[in-house]
Amino acid sequence: MARYYELKELETKAPKLFGIPTGTKLDDMFYRIEREGDRYVRKPLGGIPHLAVMNITGVPDTGKSVFAEQFAVTQANNGYRVLFVTVESPANFLYTALKQKAEAMGADFSRVEENIVVIDAAESDELRENVRALIDTMAYAIREKKTSNVIIDSITGLYEHKEVMARQIVRQVFNFLKKFRQTGILVSQKRSAQASESAEAAGGLAVAHIVDGTIVLDKKLIETRWDVNLYGLPLGEVLRTVRIDGCRLTAHDSKTWVFEITETGLVNIISPLSDYVESKIR
Amino acid sequence: MEIIARPKGGNVDRMAEKVFMKSIEILGGLKKLVEYRNLTWLPSLAEAAYVIVLRNEALKTYSEIARELGITEATAKNIATADEMKVLEYVRGGLEERPKEHVAGGIAKLAYKALKESGELDVDEVSLNDEMTEILEIAWAVQVLSKIKGLDFPAGKEQLGERLAGILVKVRGGEYRIEELLERIDYPVNGPSELLHKLKMAASS
Repeated sequence: MARYYELKELETKAPKLFGIPTGTKLDDMFYRIEREGDRYVRKPLGGIPHLAVMNITGVPDTGKSVFAEQFAVTQANNGYRVLFVTVESPANFLYTALKQKAEAMGADFSRVEENIVVIDAAESDELRENVRALIDTMAYAIREKKTSNVIIDSITGLYEHKEVMARQIVRQVFNFLKKFRQTGILVSQKRSAQASESAEAAGGLAVAHIVDGTIVLDKKLIETRWDVNLYGLPLGEVLRTVRIDGCRLTAHDSKTWVFEITETGLVNIISPLSDYVESKIR
Repeated sequence: MEIIARPKGGNVDRMAEKVFMKSIEILGGLKKLVEYRNLTWLPSLAEAAYVIVLRNEALKTYSEIARELGITEATAKNIATADEMKVLEYVRGGLEERPKEHVAGGIAKLAYKALKESGELDVDEVSLNDEMTEILEIAWAVQVLSKIKGLDFPAGKEQLGERLAGILVKVRGGEYRIEELLERIDYPVNGPSELLHKLKMAASS
């Protein structure tokens, strides 16, 4: 039976647009435009859009997992339940990482601990290899533990040796998260050969077309005199950048920003790359 | 931080079976259904058990359930929304007229709720009821195994005596106090199965 909606009917079903804090400056980079009198003003959303499924991508060691863990701790510390599906790092290692993050962020770890549920797909072949079993387990956890956020680190780990399945798997997970009304972070690994400005940078394999938005993390090794002059950093140093590649749910800053991973292991977004370079030239 | 290390919630067939068996129990057991020639209820109960599990555990929509089970959406909805208390009253003879509710749906809902509350729905292991363990003379073994949970082996007489005090061991119609049997076995005991074997041999000799 064909099914259609009058646009008006969708009014009550449409999700409200507000931000889900990540604990990073990225929260101010998503915004919406509101009318105030005669003019339109830009209002920061305060986080990634509610119910968005965001793809966090980058080559290895760019800080994707650090970002995902920071998001988990922020949400859990704010009293929201988080489901963390760990595909790469076994759950006991994740525990240590989350504990360190919580301490560095000044969060109440007992509260964080209480609000995070972990599915350990790293150590279970069945959960990692059988997407249906993983989705059923996620459904169980969401329903029983009343979670509102889901992190999968990494989604790439679910199709690492069957890349032809990538779109199908991401689509299944995406539809599932939408059906269960979860705000999602999918971490995806990008190959180093895929240039950061290319379409593949947004996760590759056309995954970016499925998700609501993509955040690309990148790193640049300072290796020439030109780099030294341009970025004002010594040879051998690493410059980390982040940009929101796209988000279909709300407006966002499109600049490339410079960030650092602090000594305590947190993502600290510093300034737009253009400002950063300018300040170094001066 | 709770860690889920094994797949969960996915065994719809197993859960539906449990709801089906519990539904029969609520109706007074299979024998009662035979006596009252109500066996025709069984297909409806099986269907209702699946609908309730798919709706509540797999969170499927009515149209998904209808497609999966080959029934209409309306039937799936009638089963899932049946007023279980009204149905229970009807089954127990408290109502003169058959209610409009889906009877099998109401029973399956009661069964599902009972299993959910007792936490039995997600438990995988096979459990025997008290009557069966009594008939098979294995109640004592079940008791012994549950009492030694977490005990480090090899174990000595004192540790076992503390844990197992008061259990009656029934072997071949005879009944023995476990304290007596613990006096007769060799120590140390290297594991649960060795303990059961030694106790049984001591009781048989």
